[in-house]
Formats: sequence, structure tokens, C-alpha cells
Amino acid sequence: MVKWIGFRMLRTAIAVWAIASVVFLLSRQDTARAEQLALPDATDLSGYAVGTPVARQAAREAVRQRLGLNLPLFYISRAAGKWYWNGLQNQYHHWLRRAVQGDFGQSFRTSQPVTEALLAALPYSLPLTGTALLLAAGAALAMGQRLAARPRWQQPVRTILAALQALPLFVVALILLLAFANPEMLAWFPAYGLTQSVDVELSVWSRTSTYLMHMALPVIALALTALPELALQLDAALTEELRTDYATTARAKGLAEGVVIRRHALRNALLPTLTQLAELLPALVGGAVVVEVVFALPGMGRLLTEAAAARDYPVLVGGVLLAGTARLLALLLADLLYFWADPRIRWPS
Amino acid sequence: MALLNSTFISWSQKLAIAWLSFVVLIAILATTLPLPYLPGFPDLAHVAAPPFGASNHWLGTDPQGRDVLSVLIFGARTTVLLTLPAAVLSAILGALLGGAAGFWGNSIRLAVPYWLVAVAGGWWVLRLPMSLLAFVIAIVGVCSVVAAWLRKQIWPAWPVPIDAVVMGVATTLDTIPRLVLVVAMAAVSDVSLPSLLALLTLTTWPHSARLVRAQMLRVRALPFVEAARAAGIPAAQVWFVHALPHALQPLRTALPLSIAGLLGLESTLSFLGIGLPPDVASWGRLLATVRDDPSAWWVFVFPVSCLIITIVSLNSISRRRLAFSNHPPR
Repeated sequence: MVKWIGFRMLRTAIAVWAIASVVFLLSRQDTARAEQLALPDATDLSGYAVGTPVARQAAREAVRQRLGLNLPLFYISRAAGKWYWNGLQNQYHHWLRRAVQGDFGQSFRTSQPVTEALLAALPYSLPLTGTALLLAAGAALAMGQRLAARPRWQQPVRTILAALQALPLFVVALILLLAFANPEMLAWFPAYGLTQSVDVELSVWSRTSTYLMHMALPVIALALTALPELALQLDAALTEELRTDYATTARAKGLAEGVVIRRHALRNALLPTLTQLAELLPALVGGAVVVEVVFALPGMGRLLTEAAAARDYPVLVGGVLLAGTARLLALLLADLLYFWADPRIRWPS
Repeated sequence: MALLNSTFISWSQKLAIAWLSFVVLIAILATTLPLPYLPGFPDLAHVAAPPFGASNHWLGTDPQGRDVLSVLIFGARTTVLLTLPAAVLSAILGALLGGAAGFWGNSIRLAVPYWLVAVAGGWWVLRLPMSLLAFVIAIVGVCSVVAAWLRKQIWPAWPVPIDAVVMGVATTLDTIPRLVLVVAMAAVSDVSLPSLLALLTLTTWPHSARLVRAQMLRVRALPFVEAARAAGIPAAQVWFVHALPHALQPLRTALPLSIAGLLGLESTLSFLGIGLPPDVASWGRLLATVRDDPSAWWVFVFPVSCLIITIVSLNSISRRRLAFSNHPPR
């Protein structure tokens, strides 16, 4: 079991390294745009002799030196029809060595360390995805059980869930934004401005309430998109399990339908849902990108999209690595949950 | 047209097919329609004008003065041009790779002469140094192929782990959420319609590859494949002519869903402002402008209804495929 988990984690870790390497290498192919964006404006350099070609060349060289772009990209390179061996003094080797030590370089745009930027974004993203995941899983658990008991509202709720599943996340988020954070409709929640209001000197209580008010709609939007898949899957699995012989036996013993579901069928029906839970956490990381842009939260997603727009490659690669880490954690979580839910895995024959 | 007349189609599915054909038709005819305004030219005299108003904008204009109707029509064109080829290409790629991985597994072996020819070809493509050596390797390879053919000589064979390679790449691509991957890659490459198409195809094929591989594992054990093999048909022909058409069954359900997923992804990308350049009309970008002026409901309602109706139609079509994939086609 431990060996199996270790093997899966190792495979995923290798996959994350491969993806991050590919993004790193591809991004550094064309660094002209990044250089342009990192160059100081001519107006900022009033003290220097700006404008002369020599000075511009010097400024560009300085930027390349600062960003580490003056080194060759990879161990081998090809120029004018010939292959060259560059040795260990290359960008990829430096990046890999520092990344292993936990240093992902500095942002091209702000010169802030990438780790710092990611850590500053996590207090928004982590509660957002975590709460949404818990909320969706809890609601799906409750709803799946009730749906499988065949109440009168089974069909309409199934239809609503299927329709909700069809909507892209940004549409759900926009509908929530326009309905509940819109002065024209209902202005119950603030639409933006979390960063400004937090650093004002306020009591802890009012600061917490501001934070919660800002997080409410994003969490609901994320949970609403995660819910249908989980609930429908659990519902289908439970319906399947309730047709089996052991469920009939349990009913014949005189157990109520709810008890049959809770004590007998639920644990068997949970297994496919657990697989989905492992898929869901990375999907929520992707979804957080959309939600954070719509609700203007300064989290991971906004960091990533801004980095993408500004060609801030170190931040981008750091974000990809972080998303991969989320995937690793999700796999571990799913394996542990399997371990808990299925005794056949716990005691292999 | 066995697809359309073989079974009962409910009225909602007829509606879905009608709507989808309408969207595709609009997309094809977009440039020839007599539109009063083009999407690329903002009408600054009527900014955020309501629909059915005095100005000649039937569905109003967005906060930047672009005509909503023409953006909708040209957005449909962008959507169709992007999602349809991406879905079809990724389905083909996934079917070929997943079909090969499922049919041969890791067991296929390639005789050493072919390996030599392949190495020489790779050498030549990469233009590695010492091209004379590559030439010698190629000559040796070709000679031994000819020798094996003439004298019925058996060369040792090395295995080609198709299954491991295909599934490894698919797992690697699935590790990172598709949206994050596409955002990162879109920043890396200069985004245009063809490059976004390639990007979407590259990130979408693993799903269909998995489906086809799973089906192929079942199909390759069926009696008719065994019979084809026993009849002495070459393995490649058995794979392509006999086994693959049956392994494609799950794609009939998955293709509309894949188009729906790509549609959502594409509109999300343009909503985030990462996908296509700003002068390309798209539904997602139109939706993004509602944040500039929350009172302009028409900027939101029309594209959202187009998006939702299209996605729901695609879902309902995929259900139809599911319904009659249970019994064999007549």
C-alpha cells in the first residue's frame, strides 16, 4: 500500500517536473518581450544619458544580466548548424538547482522573489479552494443520499444539477456577481476592493467580517460548479448499490431506507466519488483562476493571469509547480481516503 | 446519414440539432451577412446603447461602442472555427494514439534494421554532427532490411513501449489543470488562431485517447479480430481496418461533450483576456465588458444565452448517442 502510494506520488512528481521544465524551456525561447517589459522606462532614467544607442544597449545588457538571460538556455545548444556543449553554466541548470532548494527565482516584473509572491497569494487562494471543496463535498454527500431515497423532488433537482454542470464557471461567477454585488440589483456583497479595505486600521472583528463578505460569493461560485458532478455521481452510485442483494437483505431485516443508505450502501458507493474528489482539487485550482479574476481577489489565479499577460516567466513556472503540488496532495488525500473506505485495500489478500 | 434517421429523436434533440446547425451556418456566412456594423469598428457615438433603441444597433452596443449583434455573429464564427477543428483533431489524435496503445500494448517489437533506419532518420532530422556516420548507419540499416527480405533472415527485435509512452504523456498532460496549462502556454507562445488551435488540441487529446484505449483493450480480444489475424492479414491492417472502427464507439458520446468543454475553455480564456488578440470578436470577451458597466444587461444576457443554449444542445446530442450506442447500428 505504502509502496503503491509512493510509486504514484513519484510518477506525479516526475510529471510535474517534466511539465515545469517544458514551460521553462519554451518560455525562455523568446525573451525579447520579457526584456522589453523589464527595461526601465526612459522617463525613469532622467539621471542617466538615455537615448544614445550605447546607453540603451548597456541598459539592455544590465537587464539581461539581472534576469540571468545572458547565459545559454540549456546544456546543449545549436547555432549556425552546429551543436555546442554549454556545460553546467546554463539557465536551466541554475533554475533546477535553485528550485530543488526551494528558490524559484525572482519575478521579472517586480524583482520580488517568486516564493514570496506565491506565499502572499496563498492566504486568499487556499481558504477559497479549501472551503469550496469542503462545502461541495458536504453538500454532495447530503444531497446524494437524499436524492437516492427517491423523494418527489428527485427529477427536478437532477435536472437543475445537470444544467448547472453545463455552465462554465465564469458564467456562474458573473451571474452571482451581477445579481448580488450589483448596485442595480442587490448590493449585498462587495464586488471588489479587498486589498484596500484590509490594511485600514480596524478592529479584528470588522476586518474578519470584511474578509468573509468578500470571500462569500467566490466560495459559493466555486462550490456550485463542483457540486453537480459530485452529487450526480454519488446519486448514480447509490442508486446502483440500492439494487443489490445486500440492500434487499437489509430492507428485509426491517431497516428504514435511510438507514440502509447510511449504514450499508453509502460506503460502497463512495469509492467512485473519492476518485472524483482527487480530480476535483486540481480543477478547483484552475477554477480559482477564473473566480479570482471575476471577483478581483489578489490570489494565485490573478497572479498567474497577470504573469501570463506580462510574460513574467518565473512567476508562471512557479504557479505551474504549485498547481502540480496541489495535484500531488490531492492524490495523497484520495489514496488515504480509499484506505479508509475500502477494507480490500487495507488488507490485501 | 444513418446517424440521423436510425432511431427516434426527441423534440429537444431536434431543437438542439437545429440550433447547432444555425450557429454553424451563421459562422460560415458571417462575412456575407448584411450587417449594419462590423465588430472591429466601435461606434463611439452610441456607447452602451440599449437594444431596440433609436440607434441602428438591434441588440445594443457594449461599453466600448461595439455592436452586440455583430460581435455575437463573428464570435460564433471564432468559436466554430476554433472548437470544431480542435475537437475533431484531438479526437483523431487521441483515437490513433490510444488505439495503438490499446492494440499493441508494450508488446510490439521492431527488428533491429528498422531501428537503425529510424536512428539515422532522427540523426538527419536533428542535424547532429558527423552526418557521414548517420549515412553509414542508414546504409547498413537499409542493406539489412533488404537482406532480411531476400533471404528470410530473422533479426533480433527490440520492444517499442507504445502503451507506456502514450499513457505517460497523457498522465503528464493531465497533471496540471487544463486551464492553468493553457494560460501558461498561451503566455509563452504568441497567440493566434492556429497556435491556440494547436494548444487546445494538444491539451485535449488525452481524454479521447484513454476512452479509445479502454475500448480497444476489449475489442482486440473479440473473435473477429482473432479471425482477421488468423486469416493472415498484417497487424497494421487488422488494427486500422478491423479493430479501430469498433474502438471509436465511445467517441460518439465524447465528441459533443469535448466540443462543449472546449467551448467553455475558449470563452473562459477570452473572458480572462488571455486567449485571442483583442481585435478578434468572441463571446467571452463581450461578456468581460459587462464588468465595466454592470447596468448594461444586454451585454451579458445575449452572449450568455448563446453560450448556454449551445452547451446544453451539445450535451443533449451526446445523450442521444449514448441512448443508441447500446444496440448495434443497422
